[in-house]
Amino acid sequence: MKRKFINTLAVLAVAFTLPSCEDYLDLKPISDATSENAYTRAADAEAALVGAYDSFSQEYYIWDNVLFNDVISDNYYAGGDNAEIFAIEDLNISPTNGRLFNNWSQLYNAISKANMVLEKVPGITDIKLDAGNRRNQILGEASFLRAFHYYQLVKTWGGVPLIVKPVASTDPAETQLERNTETEVYNQIVADLEFAVANLPDTYGGDASVNKARATKGAANAMLAKVWAQRGDRDYNKVLEYANAVITSPAAYSLLPDFDDLFDGAHYNNAESIMEIQFVGGPEANFGPQLLLPPSISGDTWRKFVTPSHDLVNAFDAEGDIERKNTTILFENAPWADEFWSESVNGSVPFAYKWKSANGWASTNRQYLIRLADIILLKAEALNALNRPAEARDALNLVRNRAGLANTTASSSAELKTAILNERRLELAQEAQRWDDLRRNNVAVDVMNNLVEVNVITDQPKDYVMTAQKQLLPIPQSERNRNLKLGQNEGYN
Amino acid sequence: MLGMLLLASIQAWAQQSVSGRVTTESGESLPGVNVVLKGTGNGTITDSDGKYQLNANQGTLVFSFIGYRPLEVAIDNRSVVDATMIEDVTTLEQVVVVGYGTQQKKDITGAVGVVGEEAFESRSNTQFGTLIQGKTAGVQVISPSGKPSAGFSMRIRGTSSISASSEPLYVVDGIPSADTRSINPSDIESITVLKDASSAAIYGAQGANGVVLITTKRGKTGAPRVELTAYTGFSSPWRKLKVLNSEQYRDLMTEFGQTTDWSQYTANTDWQNEIFQNGRSQNYQLAISGKNERTSYYVSGGWMQQIGAVRSSEMDRYNFRVSLDQQMNDWLKVGTNLSVTKYHDVDVADNTTVNSGGVILGMLSTPPNIGIYRPDGTFTSNPFQDWENPVAATDGSDRDYNNTRLLGNVYAEIAFLKNFTFRSNLGLDYQAGMYDYFLDPFRTSYGRAKLGIGINNTDLRNYYIIDNTVTYNRATETSSFSALVGTVVQKTRWENNNIEKNGFSSDGIPTTNAGSIIVSAGNNKSEKSNASFISRVTYDYNDRYLLTANFRVDGSSSFGPNNRWGYFPSVSLGWRISEEDFFSGVGVVDDLKLRAGWGLVGNDIGTYAFLGRVGTGANYPIGGVIQPGTYPASIQNNDLKWETTEQTNIGIDVALLSSRIEFSADAYIKNTSDLLLNVPLPRSTGFDTGVQNVGKLQNRGIELQLTSHNVTNDDFSWDTDFNISFNRNKVVDILGQQVIGGGVAGRGDVSYSVEGKPLGLFYGYITGGVDPATGDIYYIDRNGESTFNPATEDRTFIGNPNPDFIYGMTNTLAYKNFSLNIFLQGSQGNDVFNATRIETEGMTDAKNQSQVVVNRWRTPGDITDIPRAVAGSTNNSRISTRFVEDGSYLRAKAVTLGYSLPSALISKIKLNQAKFYVTGENLFTITGYKGYDPEVNAFGGNNTVMGVDFGTYPQTRSLIFGVNVTF
Repeated sequence: MKRKFINTLAVLAVAFTLPSCEDYLDLKPISDATSENAYTRAADAEAALVGAYDSFSQEYYIWDNVLFNDVISDNYYAGGDNAEIFAIEDLNISPTNGRLFNNWSQLYNAISKANMVLEKVPGITDIKLDAGNRRNQILGEASFLRAFHYYQLVKTWGGVPLIVKPVASTDPAETQLERNTETEVYNQIVADLEFAVANLPDTYGGDASVNKARATKGAANAMLAKVWAQRGDRDYNKVLEYANAVITSPAAYSLLPDFDDLFDGAHYNNAESIMEIQFVGGPEANFGPQLLLPPSISGDTWRKFVTPSHDLVNAFDAEGDIERKNTTILFENAPWADEFWSESVNGSVPFAYKWKSANGWASTNRQYLIRLADIILLKAEALNALNRPAEARDALNLVRNRAGLANTTASSSAELKTAILNERRLELAQEAQRWDDLRRNNVAVDVMNNLVEVNVITDQPKDYVMTAQKQLLPIPQSERNRNLKLGQNEGYN
Repeated sequence: MLGMLLLASIQAWAQQSVSGRVTTESGESLPGVNVVLKGTGNGTITDSDGKYQLNANQGTLVFSFIGYRPLEVAIDNRSVVDATMIEDVTTLEQVVVVGYGTQQKKDITGAVGVVGEEAFESRSNTQFGTLIQGKTAGVQVISPSGKPSAGFSMRIRGTSSISASSEPLYVVDGIPSADTRSINPSDIESITVLKDASSAAIYGAQGANGVVLITTKRGKTGAPRVELTAYTGFSSPWRKLKVLNSEQYRDLMTEFGQTTDWSQYTANTDWQNEIFQNGRSQNYQLAISGKNERTSYYVSGGWMQQIGAVRSSEMDRYNFRVSLDQQMNDWLKVGTNLSVTKYHDVDVADNTTVNSGGVILGMLSTPPNIGIYRPDGTFTSNPFQDWENPVAATDGSDRDYNNTRLLGNVYAEIAFLKNFTFRSNLGLDYQAGMYDYFLDPFRTSYGRAKLGIGINNTDLRNYYIIDNTVTYNRATETSSFSALVGTVVQKTRWENNNIEKNGFSSDGIPTTNAGSIIVSAGNNKSEKSNASFISRVTYDYNDRYLLTANFRVDGSSSFGPNNRWGYFPSVSLGWRISEEDFFSGVGVVDDLKLRAGWGLVGNDIGTYAFLGRVGTGANYPIGGVIQPGTYPASIQNNDLKWETTEQTNIGIDVALLSSRIEFSADAYIKNTSDLLLNVPLPRSTGFDTGVQNVGKLQNRGIELQLTSHNVTNDDFSWDTDFNISFNRNKVVDILGQQVIGGGVAGRGDVSYSVEGKPLGLFYGYITGGVDPATGDIYYIDRNGESTFNPATEDRTFIGNPNPDFIYGMTNTLAYKNFSLNIFLQGSQGNDVFNATRIETEGMTDAKNQSQVVVNRWRTPGDITDIPRAVAGSTNNSRISTRFVEDGSYLRAKAVTLGYSLPSALISKIKLNQAKFYVTGENLFTITGYKGYDPEVNAFGGNNTVMGVDFGTYPQTRSLIFGVNVTF
């Protein structure tokens, strides 16, 4: 009897374990959302947008943009111990340089987040999104972000694949795309920025820590000014129009009276800032300053990665620009030798000093994404190009006077052009602008080939071999391995 | 077992009884021997004194016992029939644990390797993987590093996946087990390796990489047995590398144009002496076991500790185990295995440069000119860069990992109806791990910058398996048949917590509560479940024709609703030609069996693999407050399914000359399709990779295994085991893509897997030589011409890390009470990419270099193979043939000299056995490799990056002195 009971039990146990399996196997992630449930409410839309903003705390925006604008140019030397960074200074950037692939990856990852917002938010039904036009603001912010990142891509590499929808398949036919032309990419950037201008507010209220964090109408106009100046088929009328829109914005941007206040760490989200990366320390901190600041501030004794050049120091000195020089560069005796500054250890070496606090790799120092002085100088550039030299000088002098310098003495259009370029150099050093400025003014090749920088240890002048082709960087080899349709920029193999 | 019980219950048919005692040749009583009246079901088992009684007076008694030759004795009306059984050198009758059951070796139709406990005796009691390396054909054990905390990696018949795991399934007493580090080898009775699809198919979707079945020790019949084993030992690296001395380093730096105040740097430190130390190990294990009619038990406990040969590295393990089996009555048997392990290690950072705190490269690239500490107690740095000396990496931080693990099962077996058995098993594997890290705020520069770092990570893994099976067994005079059906459900849950803090005021409190700034804190959880239906049929006719067929259905939570279930059939056949009548004349051949099998097995990947996941933590401050942010983390793929491996195996087993010689050969072909390939996506998609079922891999090979009892005299015996395996691996199809990995030394990736070639070939430039005029290396471009600036297209395949063959040979010699065991193991034809030399011969920066750079080019006209030193330029040290070396080796893996006290002596002190031994591991290595050790991989058990040496903790040479006592 007992045995029979057990027999039955056994058969039942085997027979009934299977049917419930489908449920048993249908597990949902515990610590992740899924694409099915992640975008259903207004809060989800905001979180996806925050995720898109978070790309500003990636390495590209922390300091790789400085490497590829300031170190690659005449402003700074490479330091530290990284061969790939020395290659940037040497104008010897190979397609396998790992930083290129990182930058490419980070920028496109940022774009994919913006694309997701643009794809999902229109379909979310939540009344909170329709209150105060928030849905359109979100779409405007995401469009701005997408344009901002594509701008970095197109000025670095020229035409790149234009992806404006989230990639939903791993099929090579959908993932391996050819490059669009430079013009197509710029047109998309302009379209996105125009959409942003139409949908973004001037401010989100009185809180500067929101207004300088989020994309605004002012920021979108500022980017339109920069984009129309930088693109090959530039249009200085548009540059002027958009620059003026920024300068006269209801957001009331204004130059800070004291240049040093911009970088002293006590004036975050100030009136001159149009947009800046919102480092607050702790988990959202800036590791960049530790890489650059001298032993007395960083506490380190190792050689820093970015060193101001003789040419930059001379440029400040030639203008008698003490205020901006002292804000931008700090000389200190370094416990290492430097091939351009110090033949032996403990000699005086300059340090990049616009970020001033290292705080153990966790600084709250901010990088400006856009600030007003840049736009004012762009306006000067546009006015000069449009043959309105007097107004151009006025704009230029605004920036010079703030730095404690007298009005410009440049008179001819050519002189003025050079003066504005030089002013931008002194004003915006270490702010990831120089290489774009040199290329926009079509002087990158001459400036680099005429640069005289002498290695004090070997007494040999450094040979910068600049060519027109090097104005664009090579498409990262790792990306070419993944996308066989990419091809390579001229001059690289 | 079941058969025996059933036989015993059959009623007696004769009136008179016969009794007797069964002994061994040496006169010891032999309990547990099967005694059957031939041609009937009438039988019994000898008791603990070797005695039996059976109702019979006519006919022939058949005595059989595992490990002894069967014996037939006619009763001839005697009432007392004693028997002496002779130990059988053949292993044909050996019972082999196979999935969900056992089989006699002669009945096995698949490809199965067995390693017995003798392989673990007198060896370091560290990890079973290192102990079975070279012991069975077709099994490649990869020890990527020599550090005590390193795990091992195993490949059975080659690597059969790219993105999913290629590790076999490890099953301990029926419970699949992911972590192998905490398994105590002294508790292992035997290891069975299921190599082909037909034997592994009962594990279906977990069997594609083969299955390693670990059976732990259980009580054996006889008096309770107490076994004590202990050893102590030493270890050290077997080679040192020569580096530049202080003066030569200064010369090199001066050549770079680097100057400094050299009067500050007058030390002369031998960093290899500072970092390498005399490793020490000790091990103590005690086991008590026994078995009577209804109960068997095994209880053990022990502790082992290994202090590594590199400063600060160590591991130790406490282990306790209980196994209990109880026959409740004639139809119910219950039992349990339960083990508790406490594992602890301190890891050291290897496989990375001095810049990143790598200890091995730090040791080589830190110049001798500096001492260890500055006067203020902080660690010194390179004179030109703040690369701290390697002692900062070993002593500067606390790095403790602790893991407590409970692994066990309970089961019940119920015999019902006639010939049926129902078995229900519940297994658990519970692991709680904790990692503590503390970098004080004073001694290291990173610690000072961060004001100290404290990390506490915990990880919890909770796994259970429930399997229910029904077995049917039926045997007749001429045939036997068995069938098994069952269900299996398994679920794993992982839970992790982490916290990292900075801002410590002192070095006194290493826990995170003392830090002031939370850098990160969080936890996450995930789950995975599997459900399966299993079935198997075996049939044997006349001991001649053998059939095994399996069918398993598997479902996994990793796969989408479209392809959640996988189906895995297999069939294998055996033909024992030696049992055929026509074969009876061939005297020298005792056994000859042909085997052939085919089957499908599967492989799974990750958790939630098919889902489009949206991750969290992409937070960003807006309005001065950190806002929560999300990001798309993966692309949804509802069609994702199993990776399937189809394997065909043919084999032959031969036993000659009264089984003095046994020989097995197997040939196989393994085709893996629908690879679960983590395809690198263009980063323009926003994603790095996406899992797809694309591509095919192939492994094919031959395995030979030979056992020979060369001499079997009373006083002297000599046995030889030899095995050799040839495996050829080929990427058949990966959609024309390249799988690239193995980024080293900032020179890019070295390992490329492309279609039509084996996995993980080295890819780089061809070095031509050093140009006497300029001192620069010239490379050979794709047109065969020399160039100083080769293009990326000039790279080609420059090496193959896959061995032509691997082999192992064990010679066991015994003379009276002495025994000598010599175990040689080797690998032939594999290349190693010595990226350590890029760091030590690259001459690009302020790192100290290898002694060979003394021969570098200095002035035009110099003829040398070492280029000039150029600061900051990697042009002379690209990934190229210059750093590819032959990694073939033959090593004395273990040599043991043992002495057992004479039995006359030990029986006086009530001992059964007392053996003293000394074992040397890695005593010598024959290799042309120039690095520390050729058995290396900086990328661990990676499927596509193999044989890369990049400052890897080397295998060490060790010597242990031990004693085994049984009473």
